[in-house]
Amino acid sequence: MKYLTFAQNLHDLNLIKDQGMTEVILGHRDFSRFGKLDDENYLALATRAHELGIKVTFEWDILMTENVFASTSKKINEFLETMDSLRVQDPGAFEWSLKHTDKPLQFIAENGNHNLLGLKGWIDYAGPRMERIVLSIELSKNVIAEYIKELLVPCEILGFGRILLFYTPRNLLSPLTSEKVALNQELVALGESEESPHKGFPIVENTHGTFMFHIKEFCLLEYRDDLIKMGLDTFRIDLRWEGLSYLSDLNNLKENYPKDLMRGFYLVNKTDVLFPKLKNSRLQKREGDYVGEILEAEKGQHLAIMVKNPKGLKKSNRLKIIHPKGEVFEVQIHWLKNTALEEVESVEMHKLALIPFINGVWVKSHVFYLDNEIDK
Amino acid sequence: MTTAIPEILAPAGSLDKLKVAILYGAHAVYVGGQKFGLRTAAENFTLDELREGVAFAHERNAKVYVVLNSFLHDKDLEELPDFVSFLDEIKVDAVIVSDLGVVKTVRQLSNIHIHISTQASTLNVEAAKLWKKMGATRIVLGREVSVKEAGKIKREADVEIEMFIHGSMCMAYSGHCVISNFTQGRDSNRGGCAHSCRFEYSLDMGLDTEEKKKAFFMSSKDLEGLRVLPEFINEGIDSLKIEGRMKSHLYAGTMSKIYSEALEYYSQHGNFLSENLLEWEAELKKVSHRAYTEASLVDKAGADSIFNEREVSNDSEWQMVGAVVEASPKTGIILEVRNAFNQGDELEFIPFRGKAIKVQANEIMDIAMRSVQRTRPSTLARLPYVEGIGPYHLIRQKGRK
Repeated sequence: MKYLTFAQNLHDLNLIKDQGMTEVILGHRDFSRFGKLDDENYLALATRAHELGIKVTFEWDILMTENVFASTSKKINEFLETMDSLRVQDPGAFEWSLKHTDKPLQFIAENGNHNLLGLKGWIDYAGPRMERIVLSIELSKNVIAEYIKELLVPCEILGFGRILLFYTPRNLLSPLTSEKVALNQELVALGESEESPHKGFPIVENTHGTFMFHIKEFCLLEYRDDLIKMGLDTFRIDLRWEGLSYLSDLNNLKENYPKDLMRGFYLVNKTDVLFPKLKNSRLQKREGDYVGEILEAEKGQHLAIMVKNPKGLKKSNRLKIIHPKGEVFEVQIHWLKNTALEEVESVEMHKLALIPFINGVWVKSHVFYLDNEIDK
Repeated sequence: MTTAIPEILAPAGSLDKLKVAILYGAHAVYVGGQKFGLRTAAENFTLDELREGVAFAHERNAKVYVVLNSFLHDKDLEELPDFVSFLDEIKVDAVIVSDLGVVKTVRQLSNIHIHISTQASTLNVEAAKLWKKMGATRIVLGREVSVKEAGKIKREADVEIEMFIHGSMCMAYSGHCVISNFTQGRDSNRGGCAHSCRFEYSLDMGLDTEEKKKAFFMSSKDLEGLRVLPEFINEGIDSLKIEGRMKSHLYAGTMSKIYSEALEYYSQHGNFLSENLLEWEAELKKVSHRAYTEASLVDKAGADSIFNEREVSNDSEWQMVGAVVEASPKTGIILEVRNAFNQGDELEFIPFRGKAIKVQANEIMDIAMRSVQRTRPSTLARLPYVEGIGPYHLIRQKGRK
């Protein structure tokens, strides 16, 4: 398993060399969300990296709308000779790079891309140009292991670093300050919300937009043996915020690091288990034997049902009524009326039917045929 | 001579809302089944309701698109084939998809048209070309793209283009916000968004003062693109989408009506009169909304696109008092009451086309035909019959917040 990190200056490159790393990500400020390198500094670092025998990966992870994309993408040509690989996230950058360069591609599949079929699709599309795929940190260890086994290209995951929660192209901090913000100036803040117990979300605004990070940073250092056994190719360490000096003692990085750390969903991802609680499941059962919904419950008088079944409602029907809180009532209709208050034998679909009031039944209760139950 | 106009694509969070949107003029609706969409808490459609909704739409020359735009995990994907086969069987017009695994599944199992969701944040020509090669017939562009850029994408990628014209907006690039995932344990990209961007935040910006800035700094104003309609038309945009499957019947109906009427007017006259625009804008403001912005439709969204205010449940002077469930000269108009009104109140029936019909509620009866002075929510009420008014017509009232 290789370690991979970012360099922002010549000192960083020396530290990387000292750690025996063989590849570095360089972030040019026009292409990389947090890249600070201008043309001159990028070229200087790329040259120096090659002198040190370190492979250069050029990062293009800014999402660009068409006008910016068209003008910026051409600029990559100026750097092609200095990069060994190109690392992209936007499908447009992926497509452009396949067509306009011959560089090996690293595809950042960190947003979404939580199924094997899709990941294989990206890999198939790039063919032999796909050098590596960067997997999402929302994947749990079992899934990571399966993907490493099934995907035919080397896989990378973030092993240590900030967790990006939110990315917008809009400037959200500068409107809050009366100070004039200079070009390429970075604004930073720590945020806390009234609705969340979490405090101190790092927020950064730069020329590419505004970014919010988790209060804790991501750390899988203690799971490196597992990841090696799985066959992980690349373990990325992102120290752009606290400085690369921590790299020198990787085994004690966790203890020495000044920020709280978390392993995210590495052990298990249960971010869908709350979904059934987000709505009243009893009100969702509207298939097959569903008659309709109670629109009015007039105590001692009647229940009004909007009939929604093509079979309509007949006086002979036995019904099951489910209250929104789950209580179930089984009834035989004794009389059935239409909205002209005439006693009728049946009421057709899309019409209101009145039946005798049943104590405990309320508006929004759902009505089902009891004789033809499908879904209990 | 008539000008070609884009389709108005309205949200339909339920079967009733689908009918309301189409009857009020939407050319197409987008709906969700019980799974695979991004509105887990919405009522959504059962299979029977999807079948009925598609039939209802097709009978009226309208289209139905079904959202499958979650970022599906493998176990979710396993459940997808049966649903796709069902959608193919009932002849939905397209599915809306974010994820390449879903694109591949749909292509393997059906000939259903594939629209790439805004959730995929398609922003440029090259991305549109890629998705077209993957099998997409339409791209729903990211909300960060201007109409001019969209026109270029359409011309150069040669693919149908859909853009949002109205409704709530994510502040983040769609699909690039995982606040809910990591802070609330709810996957925002599988329908569990907790709307953390609408919260108030205290911000320590490192200023000399210890006072923290309090701001709803991540909350976006709502999109409103009525005045940009000529640009959408000139750039050949195929479909204009209204956000809001979780929103009310009144919202679905009003938005469908106003935007479709505006487009029809333009197709016949080739321009808008300012008095028309003012009238339509006034109608849009009768539905609860945050402050409006054109966001990035013309220029990049600026500081004035931020909605730095606490959310309110209803900031409109107008409210929906009910929806008609039955109407005939014999029974009168029977409405499901959503908000109470009194005898003597002035109500407005919103016809499917044309101006609102003002009615004085001088005579209100309950379903048992007894006179009532004041209606109650969650009951039925009868009003005297009004010619032309039938099921799914909406009724609103001013000044009763």
